[in-house]
Amino acid sequence: MNRRTASSRRAALLVLPALLPTVLVLGAGLGAAVIQSLGLLPLVGKPELSSAAYRALVVDDVLTGLGVSVAIAAASTSLALLVGATAAVLVQRSRIGGLAAVAAAVVPIPHLVGAATVGLLLADSGLVARLVGAQPGTFPALVGGPWWVAVVLELAWKESAFVAVVVLSSLATTERDLDEAAAGLGAGPWQRLRRVTLPLAAPALVVSGTISFAYVVGSYEVAWLLGRTYPEPLAVLAFRLFSDTDLTMRPQALAVAVLTVAVAAGALVAGAALLRRVAVLR
Amino acid sequence: MTALVTPAPHGRSGRRVLRARVEARAAKWGRRAGTVAVTALLLVPFLPILLWAFADRWPYPELAPTVWGVGGWLTATAQGAWPALTRSLLLGLTVSAIATPLGAMAGRALARGRVPYGKMVTALLLAPVAVPPFAVTMGLTTVALRLGVPGVVALVAVLVVAAVPYTTYIMRAAYAGYDEGFEETARTLGAGSRHVLLRVHLPLVAPALAAAAFLAFLVGWSDYVVTLLIGAGRIVSLPLLLGASASASGNDPTIAVLALLATIPPVLLLTAVTVLSRRRTQR
Repeated sequence: MNRRTASSRRAALLVLPALLPTVLVLGAGLGAAVIQSLGLLPLVGKPELSSAAYRALVVDDVLTGLGVSVAIAAASTSLALLVGATAAVLVQRSRIGGLAAVAAAVVPIPHLVGAATVGLLLADSGLVARLVGAQPGTFPALVGGPWWVAVVLELAWKESAFVAVVVLSSLATTERDLDEAAAGLGAGPWQRLRRVTLPLAAPALVVSGTISFAYVVGSYEVAWLLGRTYPEPLAVLAFRLFSDTDLTMRPQALAVAVLTVAVAAGALVAGAALLRRVAVLR
Repeated sequence: MTALVTPAPHGRSGRRVLRARVEARAAKWGRRAGTVAVTALLLVPFLPILLWAFADRWPYPELAPTVWGVGGWLTATAQGAWPALTRSLLLGLTVSAIATPLGAMAGRALARGRVPYGKMVTALLLAPVAVPPFAVTMGLTTVALRLGVPGVVALVAVLVVAAVPYTTYIMRAAYAGYDEGFEETARTLGAGSRHVLLRVHLPLVAPALAAAAFLAFLVGWSDYVVTLLIGAGRIVSLPLLLGASASASGNDPTIAVLALLATIPPVLLLTAVTVLSRRRTQR
Protein backbone atom coordinates (compact mmCIF):
# COMPACT_ATOMS: atom_id res chain seq x y z
CA MET A 1 0.00 0.00 0.00
CA ASN A 2 2.70 2.40 1.08
CA ARG A 3 4.91 1.38 -1.78
CA ARG A 4 2.02 1.95 -4.15
CA THR A 5 1.35 5.50 -2.99
CA ALA A 6 5.07 6.21 -3.17
CA SER A 7 5.28 4.96 -6.76
CA SER A 8 2.19 6.87 -7.83
CA ARG A 9 3.60 9.99 -6.20
CA ARG A 10 6.80 9.45 -8.17
CA ALA A 11 4.76 9.02 -11.35
CA ALA A 12 2.89 12.24 -10.63
CA LEU A 13 6.21 14.05 -10.17
CA LEU A 14 7.41 12.73 -13.52
CA VAL A 15 4.29 13.99 -15.27
CA LEU A 16 4.23 17.39 -13.62
CA PRO A 17 6.99 19.14 -15.65
CA ALA A 18 4.99 18.53 -18.84
CA LEU A 19 1.57 19.01 -17.31
CA LEU A 20 2.25 22.31 -15.56
CA PRO A 21 3.28 24.39 -18.61
CA THR A 22 0.52 22.80 -20.70
CA VAL A 23 -2.19 23.69 -18.20
CA LEU A 24 -0.70 27.15 -17.60
CA VAL A 25 -0.33 28.11 -21.26
CA LEU A 26 -3.64 26.62 -22.41
CA GLY A 27 -5.47 27.91 -19.33
CA ALA A 28 -4.02 31.41 -19.45
CA GLY A 29 -4.25 31.69 -23.24
CA LEU A 30 -7.78 30.37 -23.66
CA GLY A 31 -8.98 31.96 -20.42
CA ALA A 32 -7.68 35.35 -21.46
CA ALA A 33 -9.15 34.88 -24.93
CA VAL A 34 -12.62 34.21 -23.49
CA ILE A 35 -12.34 37.05 -20.95
CA GLN A 36 -11.20 39.52 -23.59
CA SER A 37 -13.87 38.42 -26.04
CA LEU A 38 -16.43 39.25 -23.35
CA GLY A 39 -15.00 42.74 -22.95
CA LEU A 40 -13.58 42.13 -19.47
CA LEU A 41 -9.94 42.90 -20.27
CA PRO A 42 -9.98 45.79 -22.73
CA LEU A 43 -6.77 47.44 -23.91
CA VAL A 44 -8.54 50.79 -23.78
CA GLY A 45 -11.53 51.87 -21.71
CA LYS A 46 -13.40 50.28 -18.81
CA PRO A 47 -13.91 46.55 -18.42
CA GLU A 48 -17.55 45.67 -18.92
CA LEU A 49 -19.17 42.28 -19.38
CA SER A 50 -20.85 42.13 -22.74
CA SER A 51 -21.57 39.77 -25.58
CA ALA A 52 -21.27 42.67 -28.02
CA ALA A 53 -18.24 41.13 -29.75
CA TYR A 54 -20.12 37.92 -30.46
CA ARG A 55 -23.27 39.76 -31.56
CA ALA A 56 -21.22 42.02 -33.84
CA LEU A 57 -19.70 38.91 -35.39
CA VAL A 58 -23.02 37.27 -36.19
CA VAL A 59 -24.03 40.36 -38.14
CA ASP A 60 -20.56 40.52 -39.64
CA ASP A 61 -18.80 37.98 -41.77
CA VAL A 62 -18.12 35.35 -39.19
CA LEU A 63 -20.70 32.86 -40.45
CA THR A 64 -19.28 33.13 -43.96
CA GLY A 65 -15.80 32.72 -42.48
CA LEU A 66 -16.94 29.66 -40.57
CA GLY A 67 -18.37 28.19 -43.75
CA VAL A 68 -15.18 28.90 -45.71
CA SER A 69 -12.97 27.40 -42.96
CA VAL A 70 -15.04 24.23 -42.67
CA ALA A 71 -15.29 23.86 -46.47
CA ILE A 72 -11.53 24.25 -46.95
CA ALA A 73 -10.83 21.80 -44.12
CA ALA A 74 -13.36 19.26 -45.42
CA ALA A 75 -12.12 19.47 -49.01
CA SER A 76 -8.41 19.30 -48.19
CA THR A 77 -8.84 16.54 -45.60
CA SER A 78 -10.96 14.39 -47.96
CA LEU A 79 -8.36 14.76 -50.71
CA ALA A 80 -5.55 14.04 -48.23
CA LEU A 81 -7.30 10.88 -46.99
CA LEU A 82 -7.83 9.66 -50.55
CA VAL A 83 -4.28 10.31 -51.73
CA GLY A 84 -2.67 9.32 -48.41
CA ALA A 85 -4.54 6.01 -48.18
CA THR A 86 -3.76 5.24 -51.83
CA ALA A 87 -0.09 5.99 -51.23
CA ALA A 88 -0.01 3.75 -48.13
CA VAL A 89 -1.66 0.83 -49.93
CA LEU A 90 0.70 1.25 -52.90
CA VAL A 91 3.73 1.19 -50.61
CA GLN A 92 2.41 -2.02 -49.02
CA ARG A 93 1.78 -3.71 -52.38
CA SER A 94 4.24 -2.37 -54.90
CA ARG A 95 7.84 -3.42 -55.27
CA ILE A 96 8.87 0.03 -56.48
CA GLY A 97 10.57 1.75 -53.54
CA GLY A 98 10.87 5.43 -52.80
CA LEU A 99 7.23 6.39 -52.24
CA ALA A 100 7.43 5.83 -48.48
CA ALA A 101 10.61 7.92 -48.27
CA VAL A 102 9.08 10.72 -50.37
CA ALA A 103 5.96 10.83 -48.18
CA ALA A 104 8.13 10.89 -45.05
CA ALA A 105 10.15 13.77 -46.51
CA VAL A 106 7.07 15.88 -47.28
CA VAL A 107 5.77 15.72 -43.69
CA PRO A 108 8.48 17.87 -42.04
CA ILE A 109 8.31 20.67 -44.64
CA PRO A 110 6.75 23.83 -43.18
CA HIS A 111 3.29 24.66 -44.56
CA LEU A 112 4.57 28.15 -45.33
CA VAL A 113 7.17 26.65 -47.67
CA GLY A 114 4.40 24.61 -49.25
CA ALA A 115 2.33 27.74 -49.72
CA ALA A 116 5.25 29.59 -51.31
CA THR A 117 6.06 26.79 -53.75
CA VAL A 118 2.42 26.07 -54.63
CA GLY A 119 2.14 29.78 -55.37
CA LEU A 120 5.09 29.54 -57.78
CA LEU A 121 3.42 26.45 -59.30
CA LEU A 122 -0.20 27.57 -59.71
CA ALA A 123 -0.15 31.37 -60.03
CA ASP A 124 -1.21 32.87 -63.37
CA SER A 125 2.47 33.16 -64.33
CA GLY A 126 3.42 29.93 -62.56
CA LEU A 127 4.94 26.72 -63.83
CA VAL A 128 1.61 25.07 -64.68
CA ALA A 129 0.45 28.11 -66.67
CA ARG A 130 3.73 27.93 -68.63
CA LEU A 131 3.36 24.18 -69.20
CA VAL A 132 -0.16 24.47 -70.62
CA GLY A 133 0.93 27.52 -72.61
CA ALA A 134 -1.81 29.79 -71.28
CA GLN A 135 -2.06 33.20 -72.94
CA PRO A 136 -1.46 35.99 -70.38
CA GLY A 137 -4.73 36.72 -68.56
CA THR A 138 -6.51 33.50 -69.55
CA PHE A 139 -5.22 31.17 -66.82
CA PRO A 140 -7.92 30.45 -64.18
CA ALA A 141 -7.39 32.15 -60.80
CA LEU A 142 -6.25 29.13 -58.81
CA VAL A 143 -4.34 31.40 -56.44
CA GLY A 144 -6.62 33.95 -54.82
CA GLY A 145 -9.59 32.74 -56.84
CA PRO A 146 -13.16 32.00 -55.86
CA TRP A 147 -12.67 28.26 -55.24
CA TRP A 148 -9.60 28.32 -52.98
CA VAL A 149 -7.97 25.78 -55.33
CA ALA A 150 -4.34 26.54 -54.43
CA VAL A 151 -5.14 26.64 -50.70
CA VAL A 152 -6.91 23.28 -50.78
CA LEU A 153 -4.21 21.68 -52.95
CA GLU A 154 -1.35 22.85 -50.71
CA LEU A 155 -3.07 21.61 -47.57
CA ALA A 156 -4.04 18.33 -49.28
CA TRP A 157 -0.45 17.83 -50.47
CA LYS A 158 1.14 18.17 -47.03
CA GLU A 159 -1.63 16.40 -45.16
CA SER A 160 -1.77 13.46 -47.59
CA ALA A 161 1.86 12.74 -46.76
CA PHE A 162 0.95 12.87 -43.07
CA VAL A 163 -1.99 10.48 -43.62
CA ALA A 164 0.24 8.11 -45.61
CA VAL A 165 2.88 7.98 -42.86
CA VAL A 166 0.31 7.38 -40.09
CA VAL A 167 -1.57 4.70 -42.06
CA LEU A 168 1.67 2.97 -43.07
CA SER A 169 2.90 2.74 -39.51
CA SER A 170 -0.43 1.20 -38.47
CA LEU A 171 -0.53 -1.34 -41.30
CA ALA A 172 3.09 -2.49 -41.20
CA THR A 173 3.56 -6.25 -41.37
CA THR A 174 0.19 -7.40 -39.98
CA GLU A 175 -1.62 -6.25 -43.09
CA ARG A 176 0.88 -7.88 -45.42
CA ASP A 177 0.50 -11.24 -43.66
CA LEU A 178 -3.30 -11.08 -43.65
CA ASP A 179 -3.33 -9.94 -47.27
CA GLU A 180 -1.19 -12.90 -48.30
CA ALA A 181 -3.42 -15.24 -46.33
CA ALA A 182 -6.52 -13.81 -48.03
CA ALA A 183 -4.84 -14.12 -51.43
CA GLY A 184 -4.00 -17.74 -50.62
CA LEU A 185 -7.68 -18.36 -49.90
CA GLY A 186 -8.54 -17.04 -53.37
CA ALA A 187 -9.58 -13.43 -52.64
CA GLY A 188 -9.09 -11.04 -55.56
CA PRO A 189 -7.24 -7.70 -55.26
CA TRP A 190 -10.41 -5.60 -54.83
CA GLN A 191 -11.91 -8.00 -52.33
CA ARG A 192 -8.70 -7.93 -50.27
CA LEU A 193 -8.63 -4.14 -50.39
CA ARG A 194 -12.22 -3.87 -49.15
CA ARG A 195 -12.24 -6.72 -46.64
CA VAL A 196 -8.68 -6.73 -45.28
CA THR A 197 -6.75 -3.51 -45.91
CA LEU A 198 -9.40 -0.82 -45.43
CA PRO A 199 -10.80 -2.21 -42.14
CA LEU A 200 -7.23 -2.46 -40.79
CA ALA A 201 -6.43 1.08 -41.92
CA ALA A 202 -9.71 2.61 -40.73
CA PRO A 203 -8.59 3.69 -37.22
CA ALA A 204 -5.42 5.33 -38.58
CA LEU A 205 -7.50 7.07 -41.28
CA VAL A 206 -9.92 8.42 -38.68
CA VAL A 207 -7.11 9.64 -36.40
CA SER A 208 -5.03 11.28 -39.13
CA GLY A 209 -8.11 12.75 -40.81
CA THR A 210 -9.32 14.27 -37.55
CA ILE A 211 -5.95 15.78 -36.67
CA SER A 212 -5.57 17.16 -40.17
CA PHE A 213 -9.09 18.68 -40.13
CA ALA A 214 -8.48 20.37 -36.76
CA TYR A 215 -5.10 21.61 -37.98
CA VAL A 216 -6.51 23.12 -41.17
CA VAL A 217 -9.34 24.89 -39.33
CA GLY A 218 -6.76 26.61 -37.11
CA SER A 219 -4.08 27.25 -39.73
CA TYR A 220 -3.37 30.75 -40.95
CA GLU A 221 -0.47 31.09 -43.34
CA VAL A 222 -1.67 29.01 -46.30
CA ALA A 223 -5.07 30.71 -46.62
CA TRP A 224 -3.42 34.08 -46.01
CA LEU A 225 -0.86 33.61 -48.81
CA LEU A 226 -2.88 31.70 -51.40
CA GLY A 227 -6.46 32.66 -50.59
CA ARG A 228 -8.57 35.63 -51.60
CA THR A 229 -9.04 38.70 -49.45
CA TYR A 230 -12.80 38.22 -49.12
CA PRO A 231 -14.47 36.23 -47.61
CA GLU A 232 -11.81 35.25 -45.07
CA PRO A 233 -11.55 31.94 -43.22
CA LEU A 234 -11.68 32.20 -39.40
CA ALA A 235 -7.95 32.35 -38.67
CA VAL A 236 -7.33 35.06 -41.28
CA LEU A 237 -10.35 37.04 -40.08
CA ALA A 238 -9.19 36.79 -36.45
CA PHE A 239 -5.70 37.90 -37.41
CA ARG A 240 -6.93 40.93 -39.36
CA LEU A 241 -9.19 42.04 -36.50
CA PHE A 242 -6.39 41.42 -33.99
CA SER A 243 -3.86 43.57 -35.83
CA ASP A 244 -6.38 46.33 -36.55
CA THR A 245 -5.17 49.73 -35.35
CA ASP A 246 -8.63 50.21 -33.85
CA LEU A 247 -8.07 48.48 -30.50
CA THR A 248 -11.80 48.18 -29.83
CA MET A 249 -11.77 45.42 -32.47
CA ARG A 250 -9.78 43.18 -30.10
CA PRO A 251 -12.80 41.58 -28.41
CA GLN A 252 -14.13 40.61 -31.83
CA ALA A 253 -10.77 39.13 -32.83
CA LEU A 254 -10.75 37.01 -29.69
CA ALA A 255 -14.37 35.99 -30.21
CA VAL A 256 -13.35 34.61 -33.62
CA ALA A 257 -10.38 32.86 -31.98
CA VAL A 258 -12.67 31.26 -29.38
CA LEU A 259 -15.03 30.13 -32.14
CA THR A 260 -12.09 28.59 -34.04
CA VAL A 261 -11.02 26.67 -30.93
CA ALA A 262 -14.60 25.41 -30.54
CA VAL A 263 -14.69 24.17 -34.16
CA ALA A 264 -11.29 22.43 -33.89
CA ALA A 265 -12.12 20.86 -30.53
CA GLY A 266 -15.54 19.82 -31.84
CA ALA A 267 -13.87 18.09 -34.77
CA LEU A 268 -11.62 16.18 -32.36
CA VAL A 269 -14.56 15.08 -30.20
CA ALA A 270 -16.40 13.90 -33.32
CA GLY A 271 -13.26 12.10 -34.48
CA ALA A 272 -12.89 10.35 -31.13
CA ALA A 273 -16.51 9.17 -31.29
CA LEU A 274 -15.98 7.91 -34.84
CA LEU A 275 -12.81 6.14 -33.76
CA ARG A 276 -14.71 4.20 -31.09
CA ARG A 277 -17.22 3.01 -33.70
CA VAL A 278 -14.51 2.03 -36.16
CA ALA A 279 -12.57 0.22 -33.44
CA VAL A 280 -15.73 -1.73 -32.47
CA LEU A 281 -16.14 -2.82 -36.08
CA ARG A 282 -12.76 -4.46 -35.89
CA MET B 1 7.81 -21.09 -60.80
CA THR B 2 4.17 -20.49 -61.80
CA ALA B 3 4.77 -22.13 -65.15
CA LEU B 4 5.88 -25.32 -63.39
CA VAL B 5 2.87 -25.54 -61.08
CA THR B 6 -0.05 -24.40 -63.24
CA PRO B 7 -0.95 -26.50 -66.27
CA ALA B 8 -1.49 -24.85 -69.63
CA PRO B 9 -4.96 -23.26 -69.47
CA HIS B 10 -7.64 -24.85 -71.62
CA GLY B 11 -11.37 -25.54 -71.35
CA ARG B 12 -13.75 -23.77 -68.94
CA SER B 13 -11.56 -23.88 -65.85
CA GLY B 14 -8.68 -22.88 -68.08
CA ARG B 15 -10.46 -19.68 -69.05
CA ARG B 16 -11.01 -18.89 -65.39
CA VAL B 17 -7.33 -19.41 -64.64
CA LEU B 18 -6.44 -17.25 -67.60
CA ARG B 19 -8.80 -14.51 -66.45
CA ALA B 20 -7.33 -14.58 -62.93
CA ARG B 21 -3.85 -14.32 -64.42
CA VAL B 22 -4.82 -11.38 -66.61
CA GLU B 23 -6.47 -9.71 -63.63
CA ALA B 24 -3.39 -10.22 -61.48
CA ARG B 25 -1.17 -8.82 -64.21
CA ALA B 26 -3.45 -5.79 -64.69
CA ALA B 27 -3.44 -5.20 -60.93
CA LYS B 28 0.35 -5.39 -60.87
CA TRP B 29 0.74 -2.83 -63.66
CA GLY B 30 -1.95 -0.67 -62.08
CA ARG B 31 0.01 -0.66 -58.82
CA ARG B 32 3.22 0.25 -60.62
CA ALA B 33 1.60 3.09 -62.55
CA GLY B 34 -0.15 4.26 -59.36
CA THR B 35 3.07 4.27 -57.36
CA VAL B 36 4.91 6.29 -59.98
CA ALA B 37 1.97 8.71 -60.30
CA VAL B 38 1.55 9.31 -56.55
CA THR B 39 5.32 9.68 -56.04
CA ALA B 40 5.43 12.25 -58.84
CA LEU B 41 2.41 14.05 -57.38
CA LEU B 42 4.13 14.37 -54.00
CA LEU B 43 7.38 15.56 -55.63
CA VAL B 44 5.93 18.14 -58.07
CA PRO B 45 5.70 21.00 -55.52
CA PHE B 46 9.48 20.80 -54.99
CA LEU B 47 10.09 21.61 -58.66
CA PRO B 48 9.37 25.37 -58.72
CA ILE B 49 11.61 26.18 -55.75
CA LEU B 50 14.49 24.15 -57.16
CA LEU B 51 14.23 25.94 -60.53
CA TRP B 52 13.52 29.46 -59.25
CA ALA B 53 16.33 29.33 -56.64
CA PHE B 54 18.89 29.35 -59.46
CA ALA B 55 17.06 31.54 -61.96
CA ASP B 56 18.20 35.09 -62.55
CA ARG B 57 15.78 35.68 -65.42
CA TRP B 58 12.72 33.61 -66.24
CA PRO B 59 10.22 35.67 -68.27
CA TYR B 60 6.67 34.40 -68.72
CA PRO B 61 5.95 31.89 -71.28
CA GLU B 62 9.46 30.34 -71.07
CA LEU B 63 9.47 26.81 -69.70
CA ALA B 64 12.94 27.09 -68.15
CA PRO B 65 14.96 30.02 -66.81
CA THR B 66 16.62 32.01 -69.59
CA VAL B 67 19.49 33.15 -67.33
CA TRP B 68 20.69 30.93 -64.52
CA GLY B 69 22.45 32.43 -61.51
CA VAL B 70 22.60 33.10 -57.81
CA GLY B 71 20.83 36.47 -57.72
CA GLY B 72 18.17 35.08 -55.40
CA TRP B 73 20.84 33.95 -52.95
CA LEU B 74 22.43 37.41 -52.90
CA THR B 75 19.07 39.13 -52.30
CA ALA B 76 18.15 36.62 -49.60
CA THR B 77 21.53 37.17 -47.91
CA ALA B 78 21.04 40.94 -48.06
CA GLN B 79 17.63 40.50 -46.44
CA GLY B 80 19.23 38.68 -43.51
CA ALA B 81 18.46 35.09 -44.45
CA TRP B 82 21.44 33.65 -42.56
CA PRO B 83 20.83 35.33 -39.17
CA ALA B 84 17.15 34.39 -39.56
CA LEU B 85 18.17 30.80 -40.26
CA THR B 86 20.34 30.80 -37.14
CA ARG B 87 17.45 32.20 -35.07
CA SER B 88 15.11 29.53 -36.38
CA LEU B 89 17.64 26.79 -35.65
CA LEU B 90 18.04 28.12 -32.11
CA LEU B 91 14.27 28.27 -31.64
CA GLY B 92 13.82 24.71 -32.91
CA LEU B 93 16.67 23.39 -30.76
CA THR B 94 15.41 25.18 -27.65
CA VAL B 95 11.87 23.86 -28.08
CA SER B 96 13.29 20.39 -28.71
CA ALA B 97 15.67 20.52 -25.74
CA ILE B 98 12.77 21.34 -23.40
CA ALA B 99 9.86 19.39 -24.88
CA THR B 100 11.78 16.12 -25.39
CA PRO B 101 12.74 15.46 -21.74
CA LEU B 102 9.31 16.64 -20.57
CA GLY B 103 7.66 14.21 -22.98
CA ALA B 104 10.07 11.40 -22.04
CA MET B 105 9.36 11.73 -18.32
CA ALA B 106 5.60 12.01 -18.81
CA GLY B 107 5.62 9.19 -21.36
CA ARG B 108 7.48 6.87 -19.02
CA ALA B 109 5.15 7.58 -16.10
CA LEU B 110 2.04 7.18 -18.28
CA ALA B 111 3.30 3.93 -19.85
CA ARG B 112 3.72 2.37 -16.42
CA GLY B 113 0.11 3.27 -15.64
CA ARG B 114 0.65 4.55 -12.13
CA VAL B 115 -0.18 8.20 -12.75
CA PRO B 116 -3.16 9.36 -10.68
CA TYR B 117 -6.05 10.36 -12.99
CA GLY B 118 -3.95 8.96 -15.83
CA LYS B 119 -6.64 9.28 -18.51
CA MET B 120 -7.29 12.92 -17.72
CA VAL B 121 -3.57 13.72 -17.60
CA THR B 122 -3.08 12.07 -21.02
CA ALA B 123 -6.02 14.01 -22.45
CA LEU B 124 -4.62 17.28 -21.11
CA LEU B 125 -1.13 16.61 -22.45
CA LEU B 126 -2.49 15.75 -25.92
CA ALA B 127 -5.03 18.62 -25.89
CA PRO B 128 -2.76 21.21 -27.61
CA VAL B 129 -3.19 19.26 -30.86
CA ALA B 130 -6.85 20.34 -30.85
CA VAL B 131 -6.18 23.97 -29.99
CA PRO B 132 -5.12 26.33 -32.80
CA PRO B 133 -1.88 28.02 -31.65
CA PHE B 134 -2.96 31.44 -32.95
CA ALA B 135 -5.97 31.45 -30.60
CA VAL B 136 -3.91 30.59 -27.51
CA THR B 137 -1.30 33.16 -28.48
CA MET B 138 -3.82 35.95 -29.04
CA GLY B 139 -5.12 35.42 -25.51
CA LEU B 140 -1.68 34.96 -24.02
CA THR B 141 0.00 38.09 -25.43
CA THR B 142 -2.19 40.35 -23.31
CA VAL B 143 -1.50 38.33 -20.15
CA ALA B 144 2.24 38.17 -20.87
CA LEU B 145 2.31 41.91 -21.50
CA ARG B 146 0.59 42.68 -18.19
CA LEU B 147 2.81 40.29 -16.23
CA GLY B 148 5.94 41.58 -17.95
CA VAL B 149 6.92 38.18 -19.39
CA PRO B 150 9.56 38.69 -22.12
CA GLY B 151 8.34 37.85 -25.61
CA VAL B 152 10.95 35.17 -26.23
CA VAL B 153 9.94 33.32 -23.05
CA ALA B 154 6.26 33.41 -24.03
CA LEU B 155 7.17 32.26 -27.55
CA VAL B 156 9.19 29.28 -26.32
CA ALA B 157 6.47 28.41 -23.76
CA VAL B 158 3.70 28.30 -26.39
CA LEU B 159 5.82 26.24 -28.80
CA VAL B 160 6.97 23.80 -26.09
CA VAL B 161 3.34 23.22 -25.10
CA ALA B 162 2.51 22.69 -28.79
CA ALA B 163 5.32 20.11 -29.04
CA VAL B 164 4.58 18.20 -25.81
CA PRO B 165 1.71 16.12 -27.32
CA TYR B 166 4.09 14.67 -29.94
CA THR B 167 6.99 13.95 -27.57
CA THR B 168 4.68 12.48 -24.91
CA TYR B 169 2.84 10.29 -27.42
CA ILE B 170 6.03 8.90 -28.97
CA MET B 171 7.77 8.30 -25.66
CA ARG B 172 4.70 6.68 -24.11
CA ALA B 173 4.59 4.23 -27.01
CA ALA B 174 8.33 3.59 -26.66
CA TYR B 175 8.15 2.96 -22.91
CA ALA B 176 5.10 0.70 -23.37
CA GLY B 177 7.39 -1.69 -25.25
CA TYR B 178 10.36 -1.12 -22.93
CA ASP B 179 11.50 -4.04 -20.83
CA GLU B 180 12.64 -2.88 -17.39
CA GLY B 181 14.22 -6.28 -16.89
CA PHE B 182 17.32 -4.97 -18.67
CA GLU B 183 17.77 -2.30 -16.02
CA GLU B 184 17.27 -4.81 -13.22
CA THR B 185 19.76 -7.21 -14.76
CA ALA B 186 22.33 -4.44 -15.04
CA ARG B 187 21.71 -3.49 -11.42
CA THR B 188 22.10 -7.07 -10.23
CA LEU B 189 25.38 -7.15 -12.08
CA GLY B 190 26.50 -4.18 -10.01
CA ALA B 191 25.82 -1.19 -12.25
CA GLY B 192 25.11 2.10 -10.50
CA SER B 193 22.04 4.19 -11.36
CA ARG B 194 24.05 6.60 -13.52
CA HIS B 195 25.61 3.72 -15.37
CA VAL B 196 22.19 2.10 -15.87
CA LEU B 197 20.77 5.33 -17.27
CA LEU B 198 23.65 6.04 -19.64
CA ARG B 199 24.51 2.51 -20.75
CA VAL B 200 21.18 0.68 -20.63
CA HIS B 201 18.17 2.95 -20.45
CA LEU B 202 19.06 5.76 -22.88
CA PRO B 203 20.53 3.51 -25.62
CA LEU B 204 17.35 1.42 -25.55
CA VAL B 205 15.02 4.41 -26.05
CA ALA B 206 17.42 6.39 -28.28
CA PRO B 207 15.49 5.93 -31.56
CA ALA B 208 12.24 7.10 -29.94
CA LEU B 209 14.06 10.02 -28.28
CA ALA B 210 15.50 11.02 -31.63
CA ALA B 211 12.08 10.90 -33.29
CA ALA B 212 10.50 12.91 -30.46
CA ALA B 213 13.30 15.49 -30.54
CA PHE B 214 12.93 15.79 -34.32
CA LEU B 215 9.19 16.47 -34.14
CA ALA B 216 9.66 19.00 -31.34
CA PHE B 217 12.35 20.74 -33.40
CA LEU B 218 9.92 20.97 -36.31
CA VAL B 219 7.34 22.75 -34.14
CA GLY B 220 9.84 25.53 -33.45
CA TRP B 221 11.39 25.49 -36.91
CA SER B 222 8.09 25.68 -38.86
CA ASP B 223 6.21 28.13 -36.70
CA TYR B 224 4.98 31.25 -38.40
CA VAL B 225 1.88 32.60 -36.69
CA VAL B 226 3.00 32.40 -33.03
CA THR B 227 6.30 34.17 -33.77
CA LEU B 228 4.45 36.81 -35.77
CA LEU B 229 1.90 37.46 -33.00
CA ILE B 230 4.30 37.45 -30.05
CA GLY B 231 7.32 39.00 -31.76
CA ALA B 232 5.21 41.66 -33.50
CA GLY B 233 7.85 41.77 -36.23
CA ARG B 234 10.81 42.07 -33.85
CA ILE B 235 11.69 38.35 -33.83
CA VAL B 236 12.63 37.63 -37.44
CA SER B 237 12.79 33.89 -37.96
CA LEU B 238 13.26 32.26 -41.36
CA PRO B 239 9.50 31.62 -41.85
CA LEU B 240 8.81 35.29 -41.08
CA LEU B 241 11.27 36.37 -43.74
CA LEU B 242 9.73 33.90 -46.19
CA GLY B 243 6.22 35.10 -45.36
CA ALA B 244 7.17 38.72 -45.95
CA SER B 245 8.88 37.83 -49.22
CA ALA B 246 6.08 35.59 -50.50
CA SER B 247 3.32 38.07 -49.74
CA ALA B 248 5.04 40.74 -51.83
CA SER B 249 5.29 40.20 -55.57
CA GLY B 250 8.10 40.13 -58.07
CA ASN B 251 10.90 38.43 -56.16
CA ASP B 252 10.35 34.80 -57.06
CA PRO B 253 14.07 33.80 -56.88
CA THR B 254 14.32 35.15 -53.31
CA ILE B 255 11.13 33.33 -52.28
CA ALA B 256 12.53 30.12 -53.73
CA VAL B 257 15.89 30.50 -51.94
CA LEU B 258 14.22 31.17 -48.58
CA ALA B 259 11.85 28.24 -49.11
CA LEU B 260 14.77 25.99 -50.00
CA LEU B 261 16.68 27.10 -46.89
CA ALA B 262 13.63 26.27 -44.77
CA THR B 263 13.38 22.81 -46.38
CA ILE B 264 16.96 21.57 -46.13
CA PRO B 265 17.47 21.26 -42.33
CA PRO B 266 14.29 19.22 -41.68
CA VAL B 267 15.06 16.85 -44.55
CA LEU B 268 18.67 16.40 -43.37
CA LEU B 269 17.50 15.75 -39.80
CA LEU B 270 14.87 13.28 -41.03
CA THR B 271 17.59 11.37 -42.88
CA ALA B 272 19.77 11.34 -39.75
CA VAL B 273 16.91 10.08 -37.54
CA THR B 274 15.99 7.38 -40.08
CA VAL B 275 19.57 6.17 -40.40
CA LEU B 276 19.97 6.12 -36.62
CA SER B 277 16.86 4.05 -35.99
CA ARG B 278 17.64 1.69 -38.88
CA ARG B 279 21.11 1.02 -37.54
CA ARG B 280 19.60 0.26 -34.12
CA THR B 281 17.11 -2.26 -35.44
CA GLN B 282 19.75 -3.99 -37.56
CA ARG B 283 21.97 -4.63 -34.58
